[in-house]
Amino acid sequence: MTNLYIGLIAIIGTIIIYILSAKLHDRFAKPFTIPMLISTICIVIILLILNIPYATYMTGGRWVNEFLGPAVVSLAYPLYMQRHTIKKLFIPILSGIIAGAVIGVLSGVLLTKWTGFSDEIIATISTKSVTTPVSMAITKSIGGIRPLAAILVMIAGISGAVLNELIFKLFHIDHYIAKGIALGSASHAIGTATSMEKSLIQGSVSSIAMVISAITVSIITPGIIAVLL
Amino acid sequence: MLTFFKIIFQIVILYIIFLLGQWIQQSLHLFIPGSVIGMIILFLLLLLNIVKPFWIDLGAKFIIRHLAFFFIPMTVGVIDYLDLFKGDGLLLVIIVIISTLLVMISSGLVSQWLVQRKEINND
Repeated sequence: MTNLYIGLIAIIGTIIIYILSAKLHDRFAKPFTIPMLISTICIVIILLILNIPYATYMTGGRWVNEFLGPAVVSLAYPLYMQRHTIKKLFIPILSGIIAGAVIGVLSGVLLTKWTGFSDEIIATISTKSVTTPVSMAITKSIGGIRPLAAILVMIAGISGAVLNELIFKLFHIDHYIAKGIALGSASHAIGTATSMEKSLIQGSVSSIAMVISAITVSIITPGIIAVLL
Repeated sequence: MLTFFKIIFQIVILYIIFLLGQWIQQSLHLFIPGSVIGMIILFLLLLLNIVKPFWIDLGAKFIIRHLAFFFIPMTVGVIDYLDLFKGDGLLLVIIVIISTLLVMISSGLVSQWLVQRKEINND
């Protein structure tokens, strides 16, 4: 019974904090005020102050987590609605995704190698751009550290969601197709969520980028690791 | 009120497709996550006109509109790894961010260049 109460409080609390952070973002629309980031920081601070373990929070949180599955499935709907545009631009879309996947694995591996990290950590960072379940699978097969992979994937997701507008401005990336590919390739589902807030077509392109980049990374990573380590 | 029940019902349909995807992943030992397999299945069902868009559109739009919300409990998981943000770990975090931005820049610029070239050629 107590568990049920704790779970309900966690869910309702998360919803209230999310609504309040969305209101804050409406008033101060800055990259670092995106609701996902503000909500996460608020909840982390509350849990730390009240000394509540993450596992206790997750008795409710896992019910929200449970929606991530159907959430990914639902991305098929915008994809279907936008299928003609996507079909027409398939080659540019595919090329961008593959370029991003290769750069992502190479830069992660080389930068950690040059700064002297262990082979396990180098293997782990190579999977950071792809959606968590795929990242877990690749990390396992190349001898990385799985809990670390999950956290690096999260950092890739949030940093992309926070910094995308700045990057797009600096590098004059202004086409909605390019923005969608960039966010889906660099920040997987969190990037796709960010793209969906801009437009359905940008979000659809993002979801394609998320899927194809996950497949590409899982194919190229074992080879790159074998050559560079 | 009717819309509310429609949304709930449609999310149940999406959930069932997710479970189907997960079942396929586990029985065939695929590395692609069950949710992504579910997404591909739903896309094919829509293309083949077996599932009509209006069976799932309200539920899908509702979830997509609030997509960021569903990630929050997972991202709060960072609480168990706060040590990562000091010492050597901080360097790792910075590398992840740099590499993420490089992916964004390269994939964005390559696709934008090709899209614009195609658009110019078509005019």
